[in-house]
Amino acid sequence: MTSSTIRKNVFAGIAGLSLAGAAAGCAPSPQATPTETTVPTTGTTLATTQSSPQGSTAGQATIYKDGTYSADGMYTSPNGQETVGVELTLSNDTVSAVNITVHPSNPNTRKFQGEFKDGIAAQIVGKKLDELNVSKVSGSSLTSGGFNQAVEEIKDQAK
Amino acid sequence: MAVAGWSDFRFEGIGTQWEISTADPLEAAVGSRLLEIVEEYDHNYSRFRSDSLVTRIARDPGHYSLPSGSEDLARIYASLYRMSGGRVTPLIGGSLERLGYGADYSLRAEGAPLPAPRWEDALQWEDRSVTTRQPVVLDIGAAGKGQLVDLLSAELERSGHHDFVVDGSGDMRHQGGTPITVALEHPYDASQAIGTLELAGRALCASAANRRAWGDGLHHVLDGATGAPVQTVVATWAMASTALEADALATALFLVESTLLENEFEFDWLLVYSDGRARYSDAFKGRLFA
Repeated sequence: MTSSTIRKNVFAGIAGLSLAGAAAGCAPSPQATPTETTVPTTGTTLATTQSSPQGSTAGQATIYKDGTYSADGMYTSPNGQETVGVELTLSNDTVSAVNITVHPSNPNTRKFQGEFKDGIAAQIVGKKLDELNVSKVSGSSLTSGGFNQAVEEIKDQAK
Repeated sequence: MAVAGWSDFRFEGIGTQWEISTADPLEAAVGSRLLEIVEEYDHNYSRFRSDSLVTRIARDPGHYSLPSGSEDLARIYASLYRMSGGRVTPLIGGSLERLGYGADYSLRAEGAPLPAPRWEDALQWEDRSVTTRQPVVLDIGAAGKGQLVDLLSAELERSGHHDFVVDGSGDMRHQGGTPITVALEHPYDASQAIGTLELAGRALCASAANRRAWGDGLHHVLDGATGAPVQTVVATWAMASTALEADALATALFLVESTLLENEFEFDWLLVYSDGRARYSDAFKGRLFA
């Protein structure tokens, strides 16, 4: 399965993320499998070429063209190989919208799309670790995998 | 971060950070033996070493004797292979290498993802005896770190240490009379925890999908086929008597319904879904922040 087909993405926005912020903290994980492939979304306007407010012409400034971009990333999760579609709307070098689309390729993911059958469901709530008195931390904070791969592709597209 | 008043021994092994905390100071000779155990394990099972046993197996089909302890790997992999319909498998390595995660770290896909060969076609693995009929890449990643936690714990016991924590970057085993409090790391934010747990005489391991910090992440994962929000498992924890079991079960929880695993394994579990909901067994009841 390659991720080179053009798809219609479904929208769900998160406002006010900076591009740098979205790509930060991306230590490569030994399980992440960045591969492939950039897919401009059909029907979106790429690059309306607004000049940036800074207007630097020194040639070194990294300025992204406004527009909506999408790319796919692939990664290996314990679920197996998964594809994540990332769509970013850029304006003035800032991400104004993020849309994530996954293509669950295994039955376990689909199985949990419905309601929980049992009553033992709760919403997780985070507390700052440094406010807790603990000896150890257990977990493997989720590394960027496909998401940051897709963001890198978009940064290339948007130049 | 360790237990107050205990000694900590830190090192790097099998590609991750280790911290061994003991109530009594750790003798230098014991520390050396622990490092030897780590090196031996790496030498046997690392796919990334040209001189490892699994690299030899990948090169030349045939008959091999695996080291002591491999019978435990064989047993749990066979169970989970059966329960998951072949999706928890020690034969995934060939697929990983096709995708660019082989020893040369090319990180370039060499073609379409390669399905893992079927165990029954490619491999006979009884106790410590392995016979292969084709070049296969054995990958014990789902349980290997846990088993190494157990091997190091056993060496500490043999050396007269009875109060300790062996922590392989979040997969850990506790032994002794003083329980420790462990934070459960937030799947989307490593600076936060979603709850705490008392760990006493058992092992706790975690597994996670590679998704991170999509803004606030939660609620924004959609199924491209339907456009519907997906509740997919993003993080799991398993607590069992051995780290080998806890590690393997933390992975299996992504692929096998927890209530089915409970039929064959005595363990506790916690699942966190992409929309922020959680399901858990009794040991986690009341332990998550509300």
